[in-house]
Amino acid sequence: MLIELEAITKIYNQGQANEVQALTDVSLRVATGSMLCLRGASGSGKSTLLGIIGCVFPPTSGRAAIAGKQLARLPDRFLTLHRRETIGFIFQRFNLLPSLTVLDNITLPLLPMGVGPRERKLRAQALLAQFDIQHREKFPAGQISGGELQRVAIARALIHDPPIILADEPTAHLDSRLSREFMAIMDRLKASGKTIVLASHDPLVTDHPGLDQIMDIRDGRLHVP
Amino acid sequence: MTTPMLERQINFLDYTLSSLWRKRYKNIAVVLVFAAVIFLLASFQLVSNGLLERAQTALVMAPEILIQKMVAGRQESIPVAYAERLQGIFGIRQVTPRVWGYYFDEVTLANYTVIGRDQVAGGSDDQLTQVLADGRLPAAVGETVLGQAVFRTKGLQDQRVFSLFRPDLSLKTLTITGLFKKESNLLTDDLIVLSLADSRDLFGLPPGLASDLMVSVANPREIGTVAKKIAAALPGTRVLTRPQIEKTYHMIFGWRSGFASVCLLAALAAFFILSWDKASGLAPEERREIAILKILGWQTADVLLVRFFEGAVVSGGAYLLGCTAAYIHVVFFGSSLFLPVLAGWSVIRPDLHLVPAIHLADLLLLFCFTVMPYLAATVVPAWRCASLPSATALQGG
Repeated sequence: MLIELEAITKIYNQGQANEVQALTDVSLRVATGSMLCLRGASGSGKSTLLGIIGCVFPPTSGRAAIAGKQLARLPDRFLTLHRRETIGFIFQRFNLLPSLTVLDNITLPLLPMGVGPRERKLRAQALLAQFDIQHREKFPAGQISGGELQRVAIARALIHDPPIILADEPTAHLDSRLSREFMAIMDRLKASGKTIVLASHDPLVTDHPGLDQIMDIRDGRLHVP
Repeated sequence: MTTPMLERQINFLDYTLSSLWRKRYKNIAVVLVFAAVIFLLASFQLVSNGLLERAQTALVMAPEILIQKMVAGRQESIPVAYAERLQGIFGIRQVTPRVWGYYFDEVTLANYTVIGRDQVAGGSDDQLTQVLADGRLPAAVGETVLGQAVFRTKGLQDQRVFSLFRPDLSLKTLTITGLFKKESNLLTDDLIVLSLADSRDLFGLPPGLASDLMVSVANPREIGTVAKKIAAALPGTRVLTRPQIEKTYHMIFGWRSGFASVCLLAALAAFFILSWDKASGLAPEERREIAILKILGWQTADVLLVRFFEGAVVSGGAYLLGCTAAYIHVVFFGSSLFLPVLAGWSVIRPDLHLVPAIHLADLLLLFCFTVMPYLAATVVPAWRCASLPSATALQGG
């Protein structure tokens, strides 16, 4: 299993007046090369669960093993290193830097990995061609359309060839055509061996036939539908 | 072949430069304002150091010990006969009377400094000869040596003879036997050196009186001891030593540049308050950028390194620009902005071409007072922001 969560609890601001229990007793197993969808309303705990799977923060309690590493035992510095090597993120609003060119946005994850400029450019151009946006290479990200932004965000998530792709509400700001296009790309990635976890409550995602697993999340608890 | 570690640093530097280029108009403005402040501080430092070094060169003509008669707290003419009362003091080589005063030239509306002295072998005569550009010191009545500005303002050119007015408005004619070097302009620019008899004649001073007595000593290490003995032997006189005169010059130039530096430090402080204010309140897009970079796998140290590079490029660039501009200002433009403030207020301003005296300690001090605070103002807020959890980027932006 590439992702193994067991009895995970996440409490924000523990011991303080504004303490929030975001996840309670969450257990989950995702096999390599499969596609999982976490379905839930806003504030249900989807993003927190993605954060733990994405090595952004460790759980408060429970056991989380991502790509063979126990998160609870990893200091923040190594958590970041593990995230850099293992995870590709696609965010709800894509989180691109608008003043950077498309090419520079895509190559951002490679800079701290010590990949040289020539190699960075080659990898990015291959992905731009794969997603049919090579003509936008030198455009600032703030000047391209929503559909192109989405593809740039996917390219950035793939640039360092991570085994796991996490997408948080990826279709929230896309129309139905672009949403279907996005899911088609996810199918291709899954076929190429990537493990994909999507968090969404968009029926175009949750009803997608390519999903291997779908789980509801309500009030921080997972339910199998 | 670069190592991954080196490649990482190059990548971050590359990111920094492109980031600076994206906000180039703002960054160029910051560099220019910062460079202007550094230019002002560095110029003052270079000019005051140059003046001190120039004063040091020119002070070779100062007597080792100077005796002045004081009456009611004011200087009066001293009887030359006082020299005889010093004969018993061991260590004194020579006592020479000197007349000095100011001559107001109504044609050029300038004040000249006049010094009358008889030529003596050895001692300060040899030192005076060192600051002569050409010619010789006055050896006979009717001869004179002039400073560059006197020669220039009187429009003498090829003329070797000129006249000055006595108090009774009769003309006294003098023949020029030499000119002082430009290097000693700080002290000799407005100077007219005459024989003792000529200066008495020019000022209408009775024979047997002088403005002060110059004492040369056999061993320069004993200047202090000899001065004490002279003060004891001649009560009612003020005894000045060359080290004291040097110290006075240091204090004058040090005070002037210090005063100006304090004024400039206020400008520097204002700049840092502004930059701190700007840097501490990181704009939302800067915070968002840091959060995105962190979630994409950048360590806190990576973010800080980029911010450090940014600060170093801006402040280091401004520092180099400011210091270079200050050097050019001093060398090629004769310190035109600040020399009038620092060099003096005389009608004849010394025509100085200073060679900047660059002291590593001064450059380091300037670096510490300018570049370091700017770096801190850039890196610290970024560190505070980068230390926060990057999970904010997950919240749908």
